[in-house]
Amino acid sequence: MQEKVLVVDQQKCTGCRLCELVCSVFHTGASNPSRSRIKVVKWEDVGLYLPMACNHCEKAYCVEVCPTKACHREPENNNRVTIDKKLCIGCRTCIIACPFGHPFFDIHDRVTVKCDYCDGDPQCVRFCDVKAISFTDADKTNVAKKREAFLKYAESMKQIR
Amino acid sequence: MIAIYLYLAGMGAGSFVIGILIQWGALINWMGVKLNPLFLPSIVLFGHTLNLSSVPILWGPIMVAIGAPFLILDLGIKWRFMYACLNPRTSWVARGFIILSIFIIFGLVLLAKSVLPFEWLHAESVLWRIPEIIAFVFALGTAIYTGILLKATKSIPLWNTHLLPLLFLVSALSTGSMAIILATLGTGLFSHDASALKVLMYAVQILVVIEGIVLYLYLSGRYRVSEQGKDSVRLLLHGEKKFIFWGGDVLLGLVLPFVLVSIAAFSHGNILLRLGVLHAGIKDQIPMHRLMEIQYDMRAMKIKENWNAGKGIGR
Repeated sequence: MQEKVLVVDQQKCTGCRLCELVCSVFHTGASNPSRSRIKVVKWEDVGLYLPMACNHCEKAYCVEVCPTKACHREPENNNRVTIDKKLCIGCRTCIIACPFGHPFFDIHDRVTVKCDYCDGDPQCVRFCDVKAISFTDADKTNVAKKREAFLKYAESMKQIR
Repeated sequence: MIAIYLYLAGMGAGSFVIGILIQWGALINWMGVKLNPLFLPSIVLFGHTLNLSSVPILWGPIMVAIGAPFLILDLGIKWRFMYACLNPRTSWVARGFIILSIFIIFGLVLLAKSVLPFEWLHAESVLWRIPEIIAFVFALGTAIYTGILLKATKSIPLWNTHLLPLLFLVSALSTGSMAIILATLGTGLFSHDASALKVLMYAVQILVVIEGIVLYLYLSGRYRVSEQGKDSVRLLLHGEKKFIFWGGDVLLGLVLPFVLVSIAAFSHGNILLRLGVLHAGIKDQIPMHRLMEIQYDMRAMKIKENWNAGKGIGR
C-alpha cells in the first residue's frame, strides 16, 4: 500500500487555527484547542504561521524511549506512529525525546497523545479552507518543488540559447 | 518531585557504594593499608540488640526506596507504573525501573539481614558477599542511570554527552561520602580521628575536585558542540539561571564542602556549625544542579522548536 503523509504548505496557512479545533473535536469530543494534536506555531511579527503535526519519523525517538511500548509503529496503517491509550502511563519521556516538540500531554486523560492521521481521514485536511494541509502519497510530496525547479532550469536554458 | 527523587537516589546510591567499599576495605588488606571500620555502637531497640556497624550501607536502599515513589507520583496515571518495565530493549526508563527495583530489593535484603534478630541470619558466611556484590553493582547503576537516561535524549545537545553520567556518578559518590561523614559527626559519639573517617574526608576532597573538573569539561564541551548547546551553557553561566548555578551549584556544592572538609580534617572546631553548613552544602548540590538542568532544557527545547519550525526566522 502506498504510504500517505501530511504535507503542510506554510505559505498558504492563514493561522486561523480551525485545524486545532476540528482535531480536538474529532479526538476528544471537546472543542478545546489545547487538547488538539496539531499546533499552529505563529510568528506574528513576520506573518509566518506554521501548523506543526507529527512527522511520523522513519527513526522515531518517541518509539525508542517509550518504556511500555505504548508508542509504536503501525506499518499496516500508513506506517503511522501512534500511542496506545491503554498502555500509556503518562511518563512524558517521548515529549522530551521528540526533536519537534510533538507528543502532547492530555491533562484530562492523563496520558500522552499524538497525531494518528485520524485513522486515514485527517480532519485538519478536510476542514482547512485554504488547503494549506494536504494528505498525499509520500513520493508526491515534493512534486510542486520539483516542478518549480525544472521551470527555472528550462528558463535558464532558454536564456543561454 | 523529580528533584526530591534525584537527591535521595543520588545520596542513597552514593553512600551505599562508599559504605560497602569501607566494609570491604575493613575486611581485607587493601594495598597494604588496613582500614579501621567506622566505630559504630549497638543500640537496644524493643529488647533486641541492633548492630549498627554497617549503617551507611543500610540507609542507601531506604533512601532510594523513599525516593522512588516520587517518580511514580510524577506519572500521568499512577497505578500503571508496573507497565514501565515492558520495553527494556530500547528504553532507558524501563531499564532504570529494573535497576532501581533490583537495588531496592537486594538492599532491603541486606537491611533485613542486619536488623532482624534471627541468629541464623547473622552468620558471617561468604554467601552474604553475593547479594552485597549484586547490590553494589546496581547501586552504581542507580547512580549512573539518571545520567544515561538524559544522555539518551539525542535531540538535546546539553544532555547528549558521555560526561553527564560521569558527572552524576561523581556527584552521587561525593554526596554519599559527605552524608556518611555527617552521620558520624552528627551523632557525636565517635572519635573524630577514626582512620576511616580521615580516608573518607580525603576521598571527599578528591571527589569534589574531580567533580569540578568534570563539570568544567562538560560545560566547555557542550559550549562547542552546537548552537543550542551554546545557548544552554550561556543561559547557565550568564543568563537568568546564573544565580542558581554560581550560588547553588558552584559555591554551596563545590567550594564550601571542599573548604569545610579541609578545615575539619585539620582542626577540632565547632562541629555543630560545620554540620549545619555542610548539610546545606550537600543538600543544595544535587537537586539544584539537576533541577536547573531540567528547567534549562525545557527552555532549550523551546528554542529548538522555534528553530526547527521557522529555521530561526522571527527570533
